[in-house]
Amino acid sequence: MRSVLILVCLAAGAALAADQAVLDRGKKEEARACFACHSLRLIHSQRLPRATWSKELDKMSGWGTKIQDREALLEYLVANFGDDKPATPPAMSGDGTRK
Amino acid sequence: MGSTRRELFATLLSAAAATRLARGADDAVIIPGKRPMIVHNDRPEDLETPLGYFDSWLTPVDAFFVRQHIPRPAPMDPQAYRLTVNGMVAKPLQLTLDDLRKLPQFSVPATIECTGNGRGFFTPKVPGIQWGRGAIGNAEWKGPRVSDIFKAAGAAESAAWLETDGADQGLAATPDFVRSLPMKKAMHPATILALSMNGQSPDIHGFPARLIVPGWDGTGSVKWVIRLSAAAQANGGFFMNPAYRYPKYNLPPGTPPKPAELEVIEGMPVKSSITAPEDGAKVAGPVAIRGFAWAGEQAIERVEVSTDGGSRWRDAELSSPKLPFAWRLWRLEWRPAAPGYHTILSRATDSAGRVQPFVAAWNPSGYLWNAVDRVGVAVEGGA
Repeated sequence: MRSVLILVCLAAGAALAADQAVLDRGKKEEARACFACHSLRLIHSQRLPRATWSKELDKMSGWGTKIQDREALLEYLVANFGDDKPATPPAMSGDGTRK
Repeated sequence: MGSTRRELFATLLSAAAATRLARGADDAVIIPGKRPMIVHNDRPEDLETPLGYFDSWLTPVDAFFVRQHIPRPAPMDPQAYRLTVNGMVAKPLQLTLDDLRKLPQFSVPATIECTGNGRGFFTPKVPGIQWGRGAIGNAEWKGPRVSDIFKAAGAAESAAWLETDGADQGLAATPDFVRSLPMKKAMHPATILALSMNGQSPDIHGFPARLIVPGWDGTGSVKWVIRLSAAAQANGGFFMNPAYRYPKYNLPPGTPPKPAELEVIEGMPVKSSITAPEDGAKVAGPVAIRGFAWAGEQAIERVEVSTDGGSRWRDAELSSPKLPFAWRLWRLEWRPAAPGYHTILSRATDSAGRVQPFVAAWNPSGYLWNAVDRVGVAVEGGA
């Protein structure tokens, strides 16, 4: 019984580790594919379901970005900015009226 | 009166400070010429006006919201600026800024609201900038009428559309920002090419020339205008179709639209927003409940306020003037009878009899949020 439990835990750990690797790849892909045209706040401020994120990636591909690691990027977006994640309030800019 | 005002001021200050703390200032982003703004995006700039700045009928240029689809153009040299007027015209024109200044100048007070203002309130969530209440402002725009420009060029009677292009250009394959407007609206005496905003340079809001389409969604008020064309057909680019379209018939929330039933948005709905106190604020003593209300091409007739979740309503005091296109500020002095949590609501009625609804119609792009506004406040102590 105990050995089964250990095996289960090991398997779960491996799955988690794999997920983390995918998420890391997704984050890199975001920096590579998205950041050239706009800052990442535009992405990080939204909370969308998987199907909607997927459509957004299609839209952006149509607008000229070359997404190379689409699967990882989508996993990363859903894991961090899915519609089940609480929204974070946007930041305030500094005062640009001071001379 | 003095102490009431001091208390009110203290309440507003603490609410503003709390908001600022909750959001956290990001001094890495400074937009030249702008006070601290809510940053939805910094490249390109999508900046929302914090509610605390909405204390005047004209929204100052340094506090006015900014919506940019694509990066703004490099600063334009006013001497080198040329406006191309072409298409179905007898005499195509290249107008300088001086030419535009020599035409009769008209002042138009008009509220400009981002089509997606309030998108963040929709459930289920939809993609796009998650605006709160502040993608809106009211300014006095001044410049020549579009109708006078086309009179000079001799527009053909059969031209049904005005096509407007701004100097901004999309990155990679992002579409150019081009909008079409029915010629009937373009020829309206209040539709102008604004050269100034509240008597100042429009700066980030479209220097040197910005189209103003009063009462319609802000998307039509194209910035940095470099071309006006008279055309037989509406432009078919992304920013006319599928973007900035609204379902002809309301959809069950979360369901996809039928593309053939998406229509171009024209006049804006009736709407009021509460600017003070802010949601979640702690208040004490007499409270000035304040806000703004506007109704697209109509004027605001009435704003009602409830402080008990909608059981009883009282008429708010409205600012003058009462105009189409421009908002009215409203205010109601409230003396809470008991401490505890109170839900404040505001509801506007316009000169055409339209009443702000309790439920805003969900739509896939999150446009035209205009539900009865609602904030919750905690009243401390007794009154």
